[in-house]
Amino acid sequence: MIKILSVIMLAIIALGMPIISLAAEDEIITQDSEEKSGKITVDYNMGVTYTVTIPASVTFTDAEKTVERGLLVDNVSLNEGSILNVNVASLNTFQMRNGEAYIDYDLRVNYDYTLGENDINILTVEAGEGSGWVVLYFVTELEKDNAFYAGKYTDTLTFTITID
Amino acid sequence: MNRKCEKEVVFLLLLIFLVCGIVTGIRCLRRENAVSNRDSGGGVGLVIDPNAEDIVSRENADTAEQGVAISGQESMTIPANKKEVVVDFYNPQENEGLYYLTFELRLYNNNEQGYEVLYTSGLVQPGKHINRITLSREFEKGVYEAVIHVQPYRMNEERTLTNNADMRIRLIVK
Repeated sequence: MIKILSVIMLAIIALGMPIISLAAEDEIITQDSEEKSGKITVDYNMGVTYTVTIPASVTFTDAEKTVERGLLVDNVSLNEGSILNVNVASLNTFQMRNGEAYIDYDLRVNYDYTLGENDINILTVEAGEGSGWVVLYFVTELEKDNAFYAGKYTDTLTFTITID
Repeated sequence: MNRKCEKEVVFLLLLIFLVCGIVTGIRCLRRENAVSNRDSGGGVGLVIDPNAEDIVSRENADTAEQGVAISGQESMTIPANKKEVVVDFYNPQENEGLYYLTFELRLYNNNEQGYEVLYTSGLVQPGKHINRITLSREFEKGVYEAVIHVQPYRMNEERTLTNNADMRIRLIVK
């Protein structure tokens, strides 16, 4: 008999716990309350985020003087009315360098448009679009006569992402 | 009767020797021809290698084809007058087996370099985060213009640099 009573008591205590914790945090409306309705607020604070995939590098060869690379921005979550911009800048103003020697190259957007200036916009993604991409063409008129020395000629590109 | 049997056996044996001789002779001739062709540079018996194709730059065809994934943010909130802050510098899983990332937090100002370095990380492996960092100095409350400079490195012995990214952010100090 004592055992049965103990089990019943434990069950009552266990069932009562959530009610106690609810009472501690939330408003309880009873038949005696003046206001018979309640309100709750549901929040989800979604941060501004995105993932950009940039071309790692480009290698020209005698047989490959035009190289195609994609730049992708996806998983874009922006505030309403915001715009994400991607600019590109060349460390050597679109010249691959090997010491003092250099070889010129062009960076073209969708092949037709050659970027005449450094640090110029190549992609815009508006809020709600979710993603955006652009094809970049790296083109050189590489001639062996123009390269003064053997060796590796390199340039480094910096892709700058801003949200306005 | 016995003599007839003997004759038949002798005939059969001769026939077997003859057939064996012809077969051995044909084999020897074929082998000689093959050796002769090989020595003289002939291509009889060779087939087109299916792996032969137009020239393709090895670097462009391999890992360089896959770009570097970089996870971005618009702002970073840190507490005022504290150097130890919580951030999220993340190397996405997409870079697995390809690229490490390093992160440098820069504050833009008017000095000669154009910016002040607040923090520089070591190599971060794909799938890993840096969450707790110590800044070079404390800040008063306010909003500052900053950049997270992300420099990828190839996962080779030389740790070669690739192109990089600058993410302009608002550094919010509360």
